[in-house]
Parts: sequence; C-alpha cells; structure tokens
Amino acid sequence: MALINVAAREIHCKIVYYGPGMCGKTTNLQYIHESVSPDVKGDLLSIATETERTLFFDFLPLDLGKVRGFQTRFHLYTVPGQVLYERTRVAVLNGSDGVVFVADSQKEKLEENIKSLKELAMNITRQNKKFQEFPIVLQYNKRDMPNALPVAVMDRYLNGMNWTRHEAIATTGVGVFDTLKSISRLVISKL
Amino acid sequence: MDPQLTSLIVPAEEAAQIEECLSHLVEDTGGNYALLLDKSGQVIVSQGDGIRQDITALGALIAGTFASSREVAKLLREKDFRMLFQQGVRENIFIALIEEQWILCVIFNKGTHIGLVKVLTKKATDELAAVLERVRQQHKSRDEVLGSSFRTSMEDTIDLLFKD
Repeated sequence: MALINVAAREIHCKIVYYGPGMCGKTTNLQYIHESVSPDVKGDLLSIATETERTLFFDFLPLDLGKVRGFQTRFHLYTVPGQVLYERTRVAVLNGSDGVVFVADSQKEKLEENIKSLKELAMNITRQNKKFQEFPIVLQYNKRDMPNALPVAVMDRYLNGMNWTRHEAIATTGVGVFDTLKSISRLVISKL
Repeated sequence: MDPQLTSLIVPAEEAAQIEECLSHLVEDTGGNYALLLDKSGQVIVSQGDGIRQDITALGALIAGTFASSREVAKLLREKDFRMLFQQGVRENIFIALIEEQWILCVIFNKGTHIGLVKVLTKKATDELAAVLERVRQQHKSRDEVLGSSFRTSMEDTIDLLFKD
C-alpha cells in the first residue's frame, strides 16, 4: 500500500523483486545502485550470509525528487530466493505495491521458476489481494546463457497473465532499467 | 474498491496529531527518538533529537524485524508478538504493534527505564490507534490530493531518472 503523507508532501511506494534462488534479484539492485545518479539513490543495504546469498532482504531507497510538489520515493526490496526462506519472503512481501518477478532463463531452472511464481501467487492471495489485479512485471534474466530457453517457451509457462516482460542480462545491465521503468509506471498508475 | 488499489493518504491534520503524540512520548520518556511506521517499513512520522540520515533504512529494518517475529509467532501458534525489545550497550529500541497495520518504535538510552517506556508507549499506541483509524476511514481520491496531471509528470520523471 503506497503511502501519501499530505503534511510532509511525500509519497512512498514499495517494490519487491521476487524469484527463485540465484536468478539475479540482488544483481538487479546492485546494477541500479551503481548506475543511477547519486542524488537519486540511498545506500544499498544487504542482509546476506557470509557467502553473499541473501538472508533476509536487500533494500535500496530511490528518491525521485519533487514531482508536482510531492517528494516521491521508491523503496526497492529483494526477497531471499532459497526455498528454505519461504516465511521470510512472506515477511518482505508485506505491504508491497508491485512485484518484479525475475525468472532465470536457463532451461534447468524452468521448474524452479514455475514453483516460485506459484508461491508468489499464493503469498499475494494470502495478504487478501487479488493476484490477477496485482501490479507485476516479468523479467527473463540471463538471456546470454547458452542454455537459455526461447522466450516463447518461457511465456507459455510463466506469462499466462500477459504481464509486461523484459529480457535481461542483469550482470551487464541489459533490461534492468526497462524493468524498473515498467514496474514504476505500473505502480504509479495504481496509486 | 479493492484495498490493494488504494493508497494510504495521511491528511495534514492527522499527521500533526501523530507528530504531537510522538513528541510527547519522546519528551515524557526522556527517549531520543520515536518513529511511526506502517508494516511495509515506510516511515510515516518521526520525532526526536536532530535529523537522522539513516531513518529510511531504520524503518525498513525495524519493519523486517517485526514481520519476521510475526512469522516466528505463528510457528509458536501465537497470533503475533505485540512488543519487541532490543537492548544495546548505549541505545535500546522498544517496538510495539498498533492494530495490525502500524509499528511504533522508541529509541532510548540507558538513562531511561524500560518500564516507563513500556507504560507510556502503551498509552501512545491507544491514542495513535484512534488517529490512525480516522486516517484509514477517510476516502480522498488520488486526484483530489495529487492533482490530475501527477501521473504524467511522474512518468516523465521515471523516464528521465531511470536510465544507465
């Protein structure tokens, strides 16, 4: 639920990057953090294990400055992807205004993608929200891998809802900002 | 309307009442800082000594702690833990849940007794619950608050700032 503070003239929106383990959620945030102007970004906060796997979440606040007199902020979060952390994902998803589902394009990962997307649907429904109407953007990441599935195949299994989707290589930044723009616009349209 | 499609709009009058309540809480406990968050981690109002640069990150982390504790509670067949206390060497944090939607957080040092913080926080949560219920009940449309051209301006800003 976006927050509009009339007295302070502020708007806050929460966007969560969701997806199976090692699909590139944190890499998306890292790329955004490296690339956006210093005026826009806050510190990237990561709660990770010693091996750099996300344990709780990554958090990146983006300050878009004043739009029509309102200071507008997007808070980007990632969830930990590993199956073990299902309850943590529920916690991070709480109160989100939109989700980027990052799918790993490698064919061995298709089943994990499908399971993770099903779990997302269940978790959103459990928060008394309608999954069909919830703002979601898909990102097919790791398009540069030799074992990447054709986009049409991924669409068949993951994009039955016809969401906006972007092909991406998060390590080099391909598609990262297109995805961020899509989800931001979608969230704003539902304010 | 579907609740997910509505934003929470905090009107100026209610925001002022919340500020006043938090100021009293800081003053009466001798604490350093008080924050009101919504459960997604967004800071609604903060009051205390000076300006903290880390307030946004603090909000995200405190809400995360609370959300995590709620899941722990469920595993113990509790509905939720309504209060959390974190003790440091210099500073402590006391966190209380208001209704199911909000989190009140007081930061204080060893000069303040935890018992006092607990009692006064309880009093403040009752007051804030009433104010926040009014916030929840009011139905202003987005256009009324932001103006109809907000979305177009926002889209232009997004295109301008979100690029390599």
